[in-house]
Amino acid sequence: MARYVANRVAQAIMLLVVVSAIGFAILHLAPGGPLSQYAASAQMTQEDLDRVSRQLGLDRPLPIQYLDWFGRMLRGDWGHSYRDGGDVLSVIGSHLGATFELMATATIIAVLLGSWIGVLGALRRYSLFDTLATVGAMIALSIPTFWFGLVAIYVFSVKLDWLPSGNQETIGDGSLLDLLHHLIAPALVLALVETAMWGRFMRSSMLEVINQDYIRTARAKGIPEWRILTRHALRNALLPMITVAGLQFPTLLGGALVTETVFTWPGMGRLFLDSIGYRDYPVVMGILMFSATMVLLGSLLADILYAVADPRIRVG
Amino acid sequence: MSTAVLSIAHPTPGQAAWRRFRRHRLALAGAVIILVLVVGSTFGPYLLPFDDTYIDVMKRFAPPLSGAHLLGTDELGRDVLARLMMGGRISLAIGIVAMVIAMAVGIVVGAFAGFYGGVVGAVLMRLVDAVLCFPSIFLLLALAALTEPGLVTTTVLIAATAWMGVARVVEAQVRSLRERDFAIAAIAFGSSNLRIMFRELVPNAMAPIVVAATLNVAKAILLESYVSYLGYGIQPPAASWGNMLNNAQIYLTSAPWLAIAPGVAITLAVTSFNFLGDGLRDALDPRMNIP
Amino acid sequence: MADETSNFGRPVPGLPSGVSNRRQFIQLGASAAAGWTIAGSAFAQTERPANPPAKPRGQVIAALSQEPTVFHPLMPSIEVDQGVWWQVFSPLWFIDSEGNFVPDLAREVPTIENGGLSADGLTWKIKLRSDVKWHDGTAFTAEDVKFSLELNNNPDFRARSRVGHSLLKDVKVVAPDEIHWRMEAPYSPYMSILSLTFIVPKHILEKLPDPNASPFHNAPVGTGPFRWGERVPGDHILLSAHAGYHGKGPYLERVVFKYIPDLTVLYTQFRTGQVDYTGLQGILPNFVQEAKALRGHKVFVSSTSSVEHLAPNLEFGPFADRTVREALYLAINKKAIIDALNYGLPTQTESFVPQQAWSFQQGLPQHNYDPAKANALLDAAGWTRGAGGVREKGGVKLEFTNSTTSGNAVREQTQQLLMQDWRAIGAAMRVNNMPAAVIWGDYWLQSKFNSVLVGVNFMLGSDPDVTPRFGSGAIPAKGGRGYNTYQYQSAEADRLLAEGARQFDLTQRKATYGDLQKLIRNDLAILPLFQGFIAEGVKEGLQGFRPNINTSSNCWNIREWYWA
Repeated sequence: MARYVANRVAQAIMLLVVVSAIGFAILHLAPGGPLSQYAASAQMTQEDLDRVSRQLGLDRPLPIQYLDWFGRMLRGDWGHSYRDGGDVLSVIGSHLGATFELMATATIIAVLLGSWIGVLGALRRYSLFDTLATVGAMIALSIPTFWFGLVAIYVFSVKLDWLPSGNQETIGDGSLLDLLHHLIAPALVLALVETAMWGRFMRSSMLEVINQDYIRTARAKGIPEWRILTRHALRNALLPMITVAGLQFPTLLGGALVTETVFTWPGMGRLFLDSIGYRDYPVVMGILMFSATMVLLGSLLADILYAVADPRIRVG
Repeated sequence: MSTAVLSIAHPTPGQAAWRRFRRHRLALAGAVIILVLVVGSTFGPYLLPFDDTYIDVMKRFAPPLSGAHLLGTDELGRDVLARLMMGGRISLAIGIVAMVIAMAVGIVVGAFAGFYGGVVGAVLMRLVDAVLCFPSIFLLLALAALTEPGLVTTTVLIAATAWMGVARVVEAQVRSLRERDFAIAAIAFGSSNLRIMFRELVPNAMAPIVVAATLNVAKAILLESYVSYLGYGIQPPAASWGNMLNNAQIYLTSAPWLAIAPGVAITLAVTSFNFLGDGLRDALDPRMNIP
Repeated sequence: MADETSNFGRPVPGLPSGVSNRRQFIQLGASAAAGWTIAGSAFAQTERPANPPAKPRGQVIAALSQEPTVFHPLMPSIEVDQGVWWQVFSPLWFIDSEGNFVPDLAREVPTIENGGLSADGLTWKIKLRSDVKWHDGTAFTAEDVKFSLELNNNPDFRARSRVGHSLLKDVKVVAPDEIHWRMEAPYSPYMSILSLTFIVPKHILEKLPDPNASPFHNAPVGTGPFRWGERVPGDHILLSAHAGYHGKGPYLERVVFKYIPDLTVLYTQFRTGQVDYTGLQGILPNFVQEAKALRGHKVFVSSTSSVEHLAPNLEFGPFADRTVREALYLAINKKAIIDALNYGLPTQTESFVPQQAWSFQQGLPQHNYDPAKANALLDAAGWTRGAGGVREKGGVKLEFTNSTTSGNAVREQTQQLLMQDWRAIGAAMRVNNMPAAVIWGDYWLQSKFNSVLVGVNFMLGSDPDVTPRFGSGAIPAKGGRGYNTYQYQSAEADRLLAEGARQFDLTQRKATYGDLQKLIRNDLAILPLFQGFIAEGVKEGLQGFRPNINTSSNCWNIREWYWA
């Protein structure tokens, strides 16, 4: 097990190096640059732009810039944002909380609701509930998130005035109630897709389990249905979901992007979008490395957890 | 000759699958809706008296059913139905072509990696892992910046973010299939590697590939709308469902039909492809468990 | 007011807006009117029946569609950043909405009459206020001014611009409240440059080993009406009243700059009352009518100094022919663009000079929508229709691309209308839009475009010296210094520009720049559409909002805002 983990970690680190090189190249080769924003407002002459470009080291050959960036990153210096001058790690850190709040809430809703829908759907396969859940899930997976978010704002904020039309909090309020009030709409919008996905996976996982021999054996033994369900079926059905969760976790970062834009949520997604828009190279690279690490960590953890949870599986 | 004898493990797998598929009513409904959408977008524009790009600013924002325009007119006085149909051509084409490209790349990469294994397999699959590490938004935005936006580039971009999943599925299938009797027999018969890969192994992995394909079309149509939302994608004056929906955003309160029409079209198409994929999965391999 | 930088990040459906450069400001003869006023019905100021409160009271949430991120006022920045600087820092003097220089940190504005300026314009003597304190309690002195001006020339410092500052020499602190310097050459625009140069504290910044790694990124210290509170990156900036402010106000306890990237969402939040004021880039034109009808809200539509126009690349194939430009201009349905696509909010223009400016030339030839005449002109000039109805002459086809920032809804609509109108006269236009970071880079600066739809503020501050825009030596693609991306070259224009820059008499200058406007209109170096505008929303009861065409941000006087 230790060797397996060590091997996987080594592979992951090599992958990160490759990802960083590809990402750096794509980003810098893309037309436009961090100075376009200043050129657009025409307050700086070409001479000024050239000087700032030199001062930022953007006039050096790309491989040199990459090695410089890479070397610094190894020493823990991820560079400074071109926009607000903050160091990249703290810039990311300052946006992480908001995204985490949104993601965690949406995930909890999705896991609870999705599991319930999935299990019930599997137990009563082809019932009205199952059909409605299936159709509902498919539609939820098919609606563009930004469209759903805008409609939600229009209905619940503009027309009904029940919920605030975005933002993480009322500035200067700071109460828990205020935070929750702001969280409802974006969390539900984000949870919609997650719930649908989780429900679908849960259903098929559960279907697989309840047709297994040991469940039939348990039934034949006369063990009560609820006990079979909680003790045997559910436990085994949840196992593959660990993998799903591990793989799903990083995509939540991206999925929150659109939700964050629509609901003015100061999270990672917005930061990423703005940083790409302004070509804030250090921050984009920082987020890229951060999310790549999350992806690799997610799949690694999922595999390890899976092995720990199910002793029948031998990894390696 | 070896194919006929060896690869068919089941006497009539096609018929059995068709029976199972027919029982899946939602999938059948999905297939019918897709057919309607495709036929409607292909031939519909010829039946309408309106050109999808003809601008008449005096007739802006005519509500649906209020005159000659069945679905009303948009912010430039163009017929929404005509645009919806022409947009359908583009969005469906992007979805299908992007899927084909993604499939082709994914199958080739997956087949080579699964067949050869070893260093080749490891390198190819690590490449897949590496690309999967990029948030698809990053790939889209960064690649979009490198090219001129348009029909072809949008399609390629979307394909570029979708082939990795297919590669993984195919690799796993091919890796396990190549140890089976028929593959070993084919090798013994002296078939070339390429022939074994694409004549013997890949066709046997077709079930999950077909399912992945339908789901990928759904994903691509949805992605097209996100790409538009993020300010790339199809250039005006051409319509796509994505850019129609995106342009309608600011008129959501004053002219809601502009957003409803493409929104419903996207949801309908994506849902249908998802149901189709679902049905195919049940039909082709009831035990299969791919997302 | 809004400029092209508004389109970074996710492109949002935006207003027609301008590339501006108010930070450079040529004013020959500092006694003349510095700026210009926005007069007429387009502009109104909030009435003030009540008096400002004795003590700062309440808070204002000002929404911006871009995030201010640069709080060192001498570093590279975008327009929204200035909105924050106005609150935290002070310049030596500023230009008010009536166009007058008003002393701020200086005791008086230097003129030749009061001895602040020598007659040759080379020696400057500035008397400073002695009652000003930095937010941390340290006294403000002439040393701070010297430090700030010299910081711009520090080779290690990423200064935003050295224009003007590079001419400084012998900066001498004569007394804690007086500073003198000499200029290498007379440069009267420096007056205006200083009106937007905010002074930074020496006692904090001089200790830094690296002038770029500034503590200002998190906690700027200034002499302005509001002191730094907190910043939640990606969300908001909170400032609170500075009790010891040396000028009028502040009357508000807190100011919050809230970043709302999507303009539809921004308007929605204004509508639902979560936002008190919609700053850059305001309310989308399609919401203005509805916003005006909202109870408890007021909407101000004001002109900006930018001009929305079609920018041709004059070195590109068909555009080199003046007849083509004239025909294209005749075939533009301006009325439809203004009345329908822009809801009648802007006014049409024929000049690159804002209509409120003293230098604006009345009576330029009026544009007519006349496709028949356009066709006739092209026929006569030998542009014959070829395959697909597209005209060509001598192997040059009348086809071109038009670009603008992708996602800008109104501009994209305008493009499509132009496309249809021009197809009717045998000109084939194709849309090729790009993200802001791409289009405003080399594509624009190095004239790699065919044509661009853009709003530009041509003026140097309030001065009509457009040498950087139309001078033949200002073409970046040809190694010139400036923004003549049209690649306009005219000996007559160069002559007029040189003459205008030498003249000191306002009447003479008006004549010279009038001739220049006639020339540019006649040559159709640009195809002007209309003058830029911004619609800003203010919650009822909020007093003191006063648009100022001379600053980049109408947040310039938040210190005078208060709740009735």
